[in-house]
Amino acid sequence: MAMAALRREGRRLAPLISPRTITAVRSSPLYPTLEDEGPLGVRHISTQVVRNRMKSVKNIQKITKAMKMVAASKLRAIQTKTENSRGLWQPFTALLGDLPSADVKKNVVVTISSDKGLCGGINSTSVKISKGLHKLNSGPEKETKYVILGEKAKAQLVRDSKKDIELIITELQKNPLNYTQVSVLADEILKNVEYDALRIVFNKFQSVVSFVPTVSTVLSTEIVEREAESGGKLVDLDSYEVEGGETKGEILQNLAEFQFSCTMFNAVLENACSEQGARMSAMDSSSRNAGDMLDRLTLTYNRTRQASITTELIEIISGASALEG
Amino acid sequence: MTLNLCVLTPNRIVWDSEVKEIILSTNSGQIGVLPNHASIATAVDIGILRIRLNNQWLTMALMGSFARIGNNEITILVNDAEKGSDIDPQEAQQALEIAEANLRKAEGKRQTIEENLALRRARTRVEAINAIL
Repeated sequence: MAMAALRREGRRLAPLISPRTITAVRSSPLYPTLEDEGPLGVRHISTQVVRNRMKSVKNIQKITKAMKMVAASKLRAIQTKTENSRGLWQPFTALLGDLPSADVKKNVVVTISSDKGLCGGINSTSVKISKGLHKLNSGPEKETKYVILGEKAKAQLVRDSKKDIELIITELQKNPLNYTQVSVLADEILKNVEYDALRIVFNKFQSVVSFVPTVSTVLSTEIVEREAESGGKLVDLDSYEVEGGETKGEILQNLAEFQFSCTMFNAVLENACSEQGARMSAMDSSSRNAGDMLDRLTLTYNRTRQASITTELIEIISGASALEG
Repeated sequence: MTLNLCVLTPNRIVWDSEVKEIILSTNSGQIGVLPNHASIATAVDIGILRIRLNNQWLTMALMGSFARIGNNEITILVNDAEKGSDIDPQEAQQALEIAEANLRKAEGKRQTIEENLALRRARTRVEAINAIL
């Protein structure tokens, strides 16, 4: 109350006070705390600006916290499915082997990525590995083509490898993932793309904080036969007598297709898990950063507020003392 | 000597334990598998899998895919599998009737094939229940 009265007095008397008097008063040692009047801007930040910034940072923090919780709940849902599907491709690897080093003429790299962003670096790592595989397998006789699942990889690969892209599939996660959908997809890929070896690039979900980029290789039947004959890890295949159906080749063909769709299913699920996990940790660190920023802004706000109060007080008091003196 | 049987579908593991003997239906007929069977890899048809544990037979309806038998380990990978005890008899019977009706109505090659498959699946499920009794 007294402050307000003093302020009113000061305002009434202000026109009577000449600027020269005020400067004289200001430089007197009785009025401290104004040594830093060098940069003119320091005393001119209004509290309104800082308050607006604080409000927007707080909103961002709320949003990122909510996104983290949404990602956590989605992760829980997909995680059980992923763990159940892991057992599926192991028999295939036991029978047919996973040979990343197989030397083939036509490679197809299937890159699996997410559709939405804000999920950390997982899409960039997948794309980097795909590009690496492409470089590794391009040469005089060999060629590599891409099949892309997901918007993010599409955006990155379309820029420099447009001519090598065979198929682009997006919006996988609109409906909850199930095997029938993925097997239809696998069918599409197998029909439209000629291949000797399919390399699926995805992020394997090790734990909520660790996602390992992995490559699973599925070989076509001719290559499997070739490798089996030449010895190495696939010799066991010949020791199995193959029954059912007309010829061995037909069974192996079916088997290869089934292997591809199972591995794809597992890969898509693992990638989805990794995406949610990465998004959780990205949103978590962003909420924490927003919190830090909010602390710093609060300090600035208080300093600005106190500075403006001090300025007013000084003006009033100097005005009042100029009147008396 | 017992066999280790693993029945896997894309969504879950249906069976994972030891059994004495199994009877599997493949594309070229039914095969019985006893311990120390020769190693084979075979395609599995839509049909019933019979499992024997200690003189008790259990049935499971399988919807086709692959089986690998070797070293007393059997791995069956199927698109879908249901234990006989999990199937509701009335629902399975109804599904069978609906499938039969659809087959009669089907037009065009593709629909006929699809309805045929649906019919076989429904029939397998009904057989799975009946076989226990």
